[in-house]
Order: sequence, then C-alpha cells, then structure tokens
Amino acid sequence: MSAIGSLPGLDPVIHAQARLRVMVALAGLSTGDQITFPRLQQLLDMTAGNLSTHLRKLEDASYVQITKAHQRRTPVTYVTLTEQGQRAFADYTTALRALLTAPTDQLGD
Amino acid sequence: MAGRDTNEGVSDDYPLSVGESLALIERQQRETQRRLRVNPAMFYGPWGAAYLLGFGSVFLTYPTAVPLRLPGAVAAVIIGVLFAAATVVSIVTGVRAGRGLRGPSQAAGAMYGWSWTLGFCTLAAVNNGVTRLGLPHDAVTLLWSGSSLLLIGVLYLAAGALFQDRFQYGLGLWMLVSAATSVFAGVPGNFAVVSLAGGGGLLLAAGYFTLRPPCPRR
Repeated sequence: MSAIGSLPGLDPVIHAQARLRVMVALAGLSTGDQITFPRLQQLLDMTAGNLSTHLRKLEDASYVQITKAHQRRTPVTYVTLTEQGQRAFADYTTALRALLTAPTDQLGD
Repeated sequence: MAGRDTNEGVSDDYPLSVGESLALIERQQRETQRRLRVNPAMFYGPWGAAYLLGFGSVFLTYPTAVPLRLPGAVAAVIIGVLFAAATVVSIVTGVRAGRGLRGPSQAAGAMYGWSWTLGFCTLAAVNNGVTRLGLPHDAVTLLWSGSSLLLIGVLYLAAGALFQDRFQYGLGLWMLVSAATSVFAGVPGNFAVVSLAGGGGLLLAAGYFTLRPPCPRR
C-alpha cells in the first residue's frame, strides 16, 4: 500500500478507499443505530465478498461491532461503529485536514 | 473482487491523496444521507394534495362565490381516495426507510409514526362522543377542522423538536394558526382554510424539502 507510505500519520486501517467508504457510511448512522449487512451493501454498492473482507479488517481493529441476531428464525447480521471506531474516524478526518493545511514540504519528510 | 467495486473504477489499493480522501468522504456522506434519511416531502406532498383537493372539493359542495358546485358524494369519494392514497404512501415510505436499521433513532421514528395514528383515533373518538350530544351541523364541521389542524400542528411541533428541525416546528406553528382561523372562518370558510392554508402549506413545505438537501443529523 503505497498510499500509507506517502501520507504519514494516517490510520492505515481507514486510509483505503473501500474501508473509508464503509467508515463514512457507518458514521452517518444516528448514534447507537445498527445497519444490516444487506442494507449496508446496497448503500455502498459493494459485493458481499468485498464488504465482508473489509468489515473483517475493521472488526479486527475493533472499529466495528458485528452482531448476529435472529429475526423470525432468519439470521441477520448487524453492523455498527464502536466508540473506538468513531474516535478513529474523527482522528482520521482531523489528520487529513491537518495535512491539507500543512506546508507541503512537511509531507515529504 | 475489488475490481467489481463500482466506485468510479478506482481500485482499492489506489493511493489516496489527502484531497481525494476528503472528496471521497464528502461524496459518501452525501450519498449516505440521501439514501438513509427520509425526505419529509414524501409525507407532506401526498397529504398536502389530499387536504388541498379533498377539502377544496368539500368547500365546493356549498354555495360559494366559486361558480362550480360539487355533489356531496363526489367530494366524499375524492376525499376517501386521496386520504387512502396518502396513508399508503406514508406507511410504505416509513417502513422502507427503516429497512435494515435498528436502534434508538428507529424506535423514536416508530413512536413518532404511531403518535399520528393514536392521536387521530383518539380525536375521532372524542369528536364523535361530543357530536352524539346533538351538536348543530356547522359546529360539528368546525370542531373537526379546528381539532384536526390543532393535532397536526402539535405533531409537527413534536417533529421539529425530535428531529431538531426548526422548519418543521415553524410548519407546526402555521398549522396552529390555521386551526384557530378555520374555526373563526365559519362554514364553509373553514374548509377553504383547511384546503388552502393546511393543504397548501403542506405542499409549500414539500417544495421546500424537495429543493433543500436534507441536512445530516445525529
């Protein structure tokens, strides 16, 4: 991942376009709300395999919480940002804005 | 797998610059809001049309300055069909918006939705109970137009407070003013007030929410 090397201080778990989109979508939910896997997939226009791969990476970093529930005997997977994930996303956007306003020569260091 | 992602052909390991990241965030935020938030216009539009045309046709069953005169049965059919249609659109919109979501905002939305049903069922019980005591016909129609607009107004005040939306709160105030005005307008002026101020107001609100991008809320 060449992107990480060129932009210091950015969370490598979030700084990848598919995972960034997942984080933005989850951060857009009202506080405490959970979204099912299919609705999230539809929201992001991602394939199921692709979305689960990225969700697993985000779950490994404790940024998302995945809950398996049953509704009328059908298993339903709910996804939500953890507090840690919310903080990481806020830190990431803060870092981006700082990089944007920072003098460009610092980026090369 | 990443190649099938439909985000403008940018593959996942494409190195994101700061600018691209910020643009991606903004784009995805807009898209998420657009797809997750219900535009209130979806409720205001059908109900505004139902009130404007429905009560407009009731107004036209009375001898008025308007040269057109409608039979009562025609007005009843117009009002029945439009109200049924608006009810169906509201339920479908509400249910579709909540698909695949659960949590505090969904519970709040469901409780708010049920407030309308419970409020109007109770209003019907109270008004019918009072009417049974033998009210004059004009008093019955004034009771209905005034109390319905009052309830609608209060529910919009609640929506304004719940969804932190001053515009909806303002719409509630407008409905309260319309409620009082309709009673003092007398019959059949009350139907004109319900139609034009109530229905027309809702249609203007629908127009406002259609043109205004829905603001993100937490």
